[in-house]
Amino acid sequence: MTEILTATDTKRRKAAAAAHADPGSRSVERFAYLFVLPALALVVVFRIVPLIWGFGYSFTDYDGMSAPRFVGFDNYIGIASDPVFLDSLVNMLILLATLPIWIGLPLVLAILIHQGVPGGKLYRAVYFFPAVLSSVIVGAIFNVLLRYDGSFNMFLKALGFSAVDWLGNSSTALFSLIAVQLWSTFGMSLLIFLAGLSTVPSDMLEAAKLDGAKLTQTWWYIVIPSIRPIIEFAAVVTTIGMLTAMFGLIYVLTAGGPGTSTILPEFLIWLEQGRMNRPGYASAISMVLFLMMGGLAAIQIRIMSRNASI
Amino acid sequence: MKTTKTLLRLGTRLAGTLAVTIGAMSIASAENVTLTVWDWKSGDPTTTAYYDKVKADFEAAHPGVTIKYVMQPHDQYYTLLGTAIAASKGPDVVLVHGGSQAKERIAALTKLDDKVADIRTRVAGWDEFAGPDGSVYAVPISIQGLAVYYNKELYKKAGLDPEKTPKTWAELKAVCEALKAAGTTCFALGNKEGYGADFFYSSAAANALTPAQQAAWTAGDLKWSSPEIKAIVQAWVDTQKDGWYAEGANSTAKFMDEYQSFERSENANTIGLLSDVAHWKEFDEFLEPQNVGVFVMPPVTASVNETLLMPLAGGIGYGVTKFSPNQDLAIALAKSFADTPAMQIFFEAAGAVPSDTAVDTSKVESPSAKVVLGSLSNGAALLHNNTSTAETEEWHRQSQMLFTGETTVDKAVARLDEVQAQAKKK
Repeated sequence: MTEILTATDTKRRKAAAAAHADPGSRSVERFAYLFVLPALALVVVFRIVPLIWGFGYSFTDYDGMSAPRFVGFDNYIGIASDPVFLDSLVNMLILLATLPIWIGLPLVLAILIHQGVPGGKLYRAVYFFPAVLSSVIVGAIFNVLLRYDGSFNMFLKALGFSAVDWLGNSSTALFSLIAVQLWSTFGMSLLIFLAGLSTVPSDMLEAAKLDGAKLTQTWWYIVIPSIRPIIEFAAVVTTIGMLTAMFGLIYVLTAGGPGTSTILPEFLIWLEQGRMNRPGYASAISMVLFLMMGGLAAIQIRIMSRNASI
Repeated sequence: MKTTKTLLRLGTRLAGTLAVTIGAMSIASAENVTLTVWDWKSGDPTTTAYYDKVKADFEAAHPGVTIKYVMQPHDQYYTLLGTAIAASKGPDVVLVHGGSQAKERIAALTKLDDKVADIRTRVAGWDEFAGPDGSVYAVPISIQGLAVYYNKELYKKAGLDPEKTPKTWAELKAVCEALKAAGTTCFALGNKEGYGADFFYSSAAANALTPAQQAAWTAGDLKWSSPEIKAIVQAWVDTQKDGWYAEGANSTAKFMDEYQSFERSENANTIGLLSDVAHWKEFDEFLEPQNVGVFVMPPVTASVNETLLMPLAGGIGYGVTKFSPNQDLAIALAKSFADTPAMQIFFEAAGAVPSDTAVDTSKVESPSAKVVLGSLSNGAALLHNNTSTAETEEWHRQSQMLFTGETTVDKAVARLDEVQAQAKKK
């Protein structure tokens, strides 16, 4: 058995070497690099270079005006004891803890639409519609709805409940923001899941039906395992979105308040860079956020690749 | 021979014409300059006439020079300006707020001392644009300050004499009690971004601190936990507990939700500005001039001044960026924003209190404007203009948490002391 394997391996390597030696193949390879080059150049110029600059600035006291002065790890030490940054981390953890809802809600709705609930096409359009609105527009809409004298409280009062300062109370402001962001973005995950569901083999579903499997059993044992890579992909994309795409909504709805209750690291970076004139300190926070996001994405991708190899 | 002479003559003429043309072209290209001005006001309909006047006069006086106004969003202004400064590219002339916003950017602005000597006495408000050595870095165009505007009709409905304004904190409390009893909210308040708290402590501190204490505050020697400042922070909490404001202040924007609610007569008082927005001219338009009153906020503790002084400062002004390649022209343009004919329009059309003392304000009929203009000769310092940005941001957060009950006055001032010490490196 080992001999057969070794022989096959050797053949494959020889074929690869022959292909590599072929001048025609090399020119095709070079041509392929040409296609990759524009995208690579954009990534280098707009991602890698600023990242390196930011890394450099994070060790300086740069204020945007005077020449940057090297301060070693001072910014990082400052971050570790900055109560606003620590509060923003707590807020971030609360936000991340809601990830199951961000995945579960669109997944359940996608399965229902896929299984042909009446009006499925209409629901798909309705759910997706908020995803095309900019966060500033979504913020402006919910500002009117959620303000103390807004429509939502008027409705509550009409039902005999007391009004709640949804955006002005520390115990409700972050959850209000999360709910609004979830409303405005879950349509995208829903579309991803619908695309994934269309790849589930219909013969398996029919077989399960013939075997008398209940709906929940079909979902749990067939549908979800079949689209597990899609779910994991959606989890990675949603996590990155949660950490980097909330700025517009925070800016319009709460301005980070009350207190620090809706400040997330990305908002704090803007605050430090723009209002406080501390690009050096903001760069250090950016580096920390970058590492955290990188770590989270790495864990999720590792899980994805492990499952892919099963 | 004749033909040769004719040819020579023609050649000479042609060469001469060419030389003149090329010379003229080179002069034109040397003077063909565009000066870019950044602000957050030039698109405002009330200031259009003022900006048009400055542009027309300057371009007429400087042939070949074009002025290009770029209006930036106000809430993003300093972020964008910071990026331009960091890149050393962008505007030649920039509008800045007096006080900490100007002072924290003087490293990027051209020193104007000897260049503005000819207008120093005519124009007021220079201190807010001066560096630690007293040198000035921007030309003020308005005088800014804080005043309490009130709705006389609502005062009458509450049984109050609308012409008798409170002179002490106890009298102000009595006014609020009377209004509350009549079912009227005493003060409009928007503190979503923390600006409501800024206006409150600056107004309350104006007559509570001596000039020496104001200077100590600027230097960072007078702490937030000092009895004078702590009393103001305590009053911030007490006034909320006493029901001076409508519910939802933490989710109400000061600009412009608070002022719109005042203009709709939903509350009787608001702390407004003297220039730009939320000022006498704007309120006059909504509530009728005879129905708008104005007074100086009394201090929480005993007044240090015999009569209450209005908190005043140089409002906004134009500075020249160090990186501008057209320094002389840019300085001339910054100065021209304070020219008397343009300032006259700025005052009449926009209702801004002009920095130019030569502007004729005698024809103004608004009763509240008369009070404001009559208060300009002797004002108190505008405290929040001399507070570091870091302290201001922290005060915004603490002021909101004091309202939600997440912190106490002692904890809030202790935290603010820490930030103050860090910002001022004390």
